Amino acid sequence: MFDETEYMEINMGPQHPSTHGVLRLKLKLNGETVVECRPIIGYLHRGVEKICENKTFFQGQIWTDRLDYCSAVSNNLGWAEAVEKLFGITVPRRALYLRTLLTELNRLASHLIWLATHALDIGAMTVFLYTFRERELIMDMFEAFCGARLTTTAFRIGGLYQDLPPGFEAMVRAFLAKFPACLDEYETLLTENRIWKKRTVGVAKLSAEDAIALGVTGPVLRAAGVAYDIRKAFPYAAYRELDFEVPTRTEADTYARYLVRMEEMRQSCRLVAQCLDGLPEGPIMAKLPKVLRSEVNEIYHPTEAPKGELGYYLVGEKGSLNPYRFHVRAPGFANLQALPKMVEGGLVADIIAAIGTLDVVLGEIDR
Amino acid sequence: MSQKNCPTALEQILITTRVEKVMNWSRATSVWPMTFGLACCAIEMMAAGASRYDFDRFGAGIFRATPRQSDLMIVAGTVTYKMAPIIKQLYEQMPDPKWVIAMGSCAISGGPFDSYHTIQGVDKVVPVDVYITGCPPRPEALIQGFLKLQDKIMSSSLADKYKEIFEGLPR
Amino acid sequence: MSDYVYDLKTAPNRQVTLPITVPLPSLKTYRAEQATAAKAEEAKFQKATADFETAKAKAEVAGTELPKPPVKAAPKREVHDLVTPIPSEAKDPDLLRLVERLGEGAEEAFEQSGELVCQVAKERILEALILCREDAALRYEMLSDETATHFPASSSFAFSVVYHLTSLSRAKRLRLRILIPAGFEPESATQAYPAANWLEREVFDMLGIRFQNHPDLVRILCPDDWEDYPLRKEYPVTGWGQRDIDFRDDRSGRLERLAMEKAGNTGINLKVPKAE
Ligand code: SF4
Repeated sequence: MFDETEYMEINMGPQHPSTHGVLRLKLKLNGETVVECRPIIGYLHRGVEKICENKTFFQGQIWTDRLDYCSAVSNNLGWAEAVEKLFGITVPRRALYLRTLLTELNRLASHLIWLATHALDIGAMTVFLYTFRERELIMDMFEAFCGARLTTTAFRIGGLYQDLPPGFEAMVRAFLAKFPACLDEYETLLTENRIWKKRTVGVAKLSAEDAIALGVTGPVLRAAGVAYDIRKAFPYAAYRELDFEVPTRTEADTYARYLVRMEEMRQSCRLVAQCLDGLPEGPIMAKLPKVLRSEVNEIYHPTEAPKGELGYYLVGEKGSLNPYRFHVRAPGFANLQALPKMVEGGLVADIIAAIGTLDVVLGEIDR
Repeated sequence: MSQKNCPTALEQILITTRVEKVMNWSRATSVWPMTFGLACCAIEMMAAGASRYDFDRFGAGIFRATPRQSDLMIVAGTVTYKMAPIIKQLYEQMPDPKWVIAMGSCAISGGPFDSYHTIQGVDKVVPVDVYITGCPPRPEALIQGFLKLQDKIMSSSLADKYKEIFEGLPR
Repeated sequence: MSDYVYDLKTAPNRQVTLPITVPLPSLKTYRAEQATAAKAEEAKFQKATADFETAKAKAEVAGTELPKPPVKAAPKREVHDLVTPIPSEAKDPDLLRLVERLGEGAEEAFEQSGELVCQVAKERILEALILCREDAALRYEMLSDETATHFPASSSFAFSVVYHLTSLSRAKRLRLRILIPAGFEPESATQAYPAANWLEREVFDMLGIRFQNHPDLVRILCPDDWEDYPLRKEYPVTGWGQRDIDFRDDRSGRLERLAMEKAGNTGINLKVPKAE
C-alpha cells in the first residue's frame, strides 16, 4: 500500500543562522534522515579573480584579505609568496620570521572564530563569549602592527613594509603567557561535556580515502589520520627552521576535528614563541627594481591556511604589470564539496555540526 | 498619607508625555537585529555583539534568526546579484516598523568590488536608514551607527509613519 | 566567440583591451626566443664591427683620433634579490617516467620555478590522469586544483586547462596541461578524481569550457540564467549591466523585464543570438 515513499524537500539558507554566511543547502529528507544534500553556492561571488587580473601585483593583495576574512594574514602570505615565486624573489630571513609570526597569530584568531561559531551552533553560548575575549587581544596586536583589525594587507612583495612596532613583543609575550590557560578553560567547557560529546562523537564522518578523493585538506584530513600539513610537506616561509608537530587523530569525526584544532592552537603558540625567540636581525625588505614587470611564467603556490590548502595560481605575461590569470584554490571550496558525503544518511540536526566542523567561510568559496 | 501631600505624590509617580514619544522610546531601546551576515563585516558585527563591545548595552543584543521577529536588518557585507532578490524578500518579511543599516563600504557602494556580480550598494535593493563607513567598520563605528539610528527612531513621528505605510510614499 | 551581440558604442565604459601576446610558458618557445635574441645580438655586433672598420680606415686616412672598437655586451649583473625563473630541461624522474609511459601523448615536459610541468595531448588527458594516480612510481593521489586560462591572441588554441596533482605520500606536485581550441570538449577528470566535479563546474561557469561525461555540468557560482562567461578576456570587469538593476522597483516579478530593459540600455542584447 505504502510502497512509494515520498521524501520531503527543504531548503536551508542562504539566510540561516548556522550556515556561516550565505551557504544554501537543498535537502531531501526521509523523516529526520538526510537522503540527499546539495550545496548551492555563489551568493557571495564577487569576481575577485577578474578584478585581480586587472590590478597590479601590488594592488592585488587587498582582495586576498577579503577571501577568507577570518584569516586575512594567511591569505596575504600566500599571495606575497606566490608573486615572489613568479618573479623569483628571495626574501630576507627576518621578514620570513615576522611573516610566520603574524600568520600563526592569525591561525589562532581564525580557530577561535571557528570554535566560537561551531559551539554556538551546537548550543554552547558561553564559549562564544570566552573565545572572542581572547580574539580581541590578537586583534589588538594586528591593529598595533598595521592599523587594521580584520583586513590587514600585512605584507608587501619582497618582505614587509615596516618592522614590529615598539611594545609589540611585550604584547605577544603577555598573550602567550595567558593563552594556554584560556585553552584549558575552553576544554573544561567542552571536551568532557556530555552534550558536546553526544553532538559530535561519531557525527559527520569522512574517511581518509573519501577525503583524499574529494581534495579535502587541513584539519579535516588530519582528523582522518593523514598527517598532511603543507608546512611540513612543502615548507615555505620560516617553517623549515621551526619545530612543531602535526596533530592527527584517526576517528575522522567531528569530535576528532575539534581535538585536532585545539592541539593546533597549542602548536601555533609554540611557533609564535619560537619566532619571537629566534628572530634574526637584518633587513625586512628585499632589494627590488622600482617597477616589477613579469616574465612569462606560470606558478601554483600552496600554503597551509587555517582551513587547509590555499593555493594561488598565477600566470605572468611578458612585460605586464598585472597577472594574466589569477586563480584561487580555496580550501573551503574543496572541503565543502565533501559535505554531502558527510551528512547523507545522518540526521538533519547533524548538518549543523558538519557545517561547523568544516569551518566554511563563503568569502573564499565563492570568491 | 495626609490630604495635602497628595499632589506631590502624584507628581512623583506621573509623567506627562506624548504617546509618540513613549512608542519611539520603547522601539529605540529594544531593537532586535536580524542575524544576517553576508561577508567580512559580519565578523565585526559578531565582535560587536561579543565580550568586549557588548552590543546588549543598547538593547540590541538579541540577534534573531528569522526576519519575522526582527526590526533591524544590518546588511553586513557584499550584496551580489544572486543574493539581492533574497535580501529584498527578507526585508519584505520583516514586520513594520523596520530599519536597515548598511554596514561597510560594500553595502554602501560595492566597496572594493567593482565587478560584474556585485550590486553597487544595498540601497539599490532596500531603503537604508544609516550608512556606516569602513572596510570593515570597527565595532565602535557600528555602535555609533546604531546610536544614530536610535536618534532617528526617537525623532520619527507617527504621522509620517502612517503616510509611509498607507500612502506608499517612498522613504 | 560568445553567442550574444554586444553593442559597444552604447557602452563605452565597458570597452576591453584584448591581450596581444600568448603568455604560455614553454621550454620550446623559450629556447626559440633565446636563439632569435642571440642571433640578433650577433648580427648587431657584426654590423658594429664592420662600421668600426670603415670608421677606422677613414680616421687613419684623415689622421684624427681612432674610434673605440665595439665590445660584446656583458650579461647584466643582478643588483637585486630577483632571479627570473627560466624553464629548464625535465630532469625529475616523475616527468621522465610520465613522458616514457605516455609516449606521443606527452607533448612537452619541463621544469620552471621548481615546478614540474607536462603538456599532454588534449585527447589523452584522462589517460594521463589515471596513469598519474595508478602508476606505482607516480602515485599522485589528490587533485588539488583544476583551472583554465583564456588566450584570445593565439591562433592554434583558445584555452589551456591545467591540473595540479599532489602526491601526499611522496610530497610532490605535478602540473598537467592541455591546450584546447574553442568548442573542444575535453574528457572530464571526475572519473579519475572525484574532486574535479566542482572544479570543472567552476571552469564551465567562468570560461565556458564543457567537459565530456561530467555528471552534473551546471553553473556553480553565477546564477543559472547568467549570460556569457566572466573570466574570458573579452568580458569587461563591470559586466554587462546586470549589477545595475534597481531591485527596489521589483515588487511583483517584474525583475526579468527590468533586467532586459536595463541591459538593453547598457548595450547588451540578451535575447537575440548572433546571426551567422
Ligand atoms: S566593506 Fe570591506 S570588510 Fe565589509 S564586507 Fe565589504 S570588503 Fe568585507
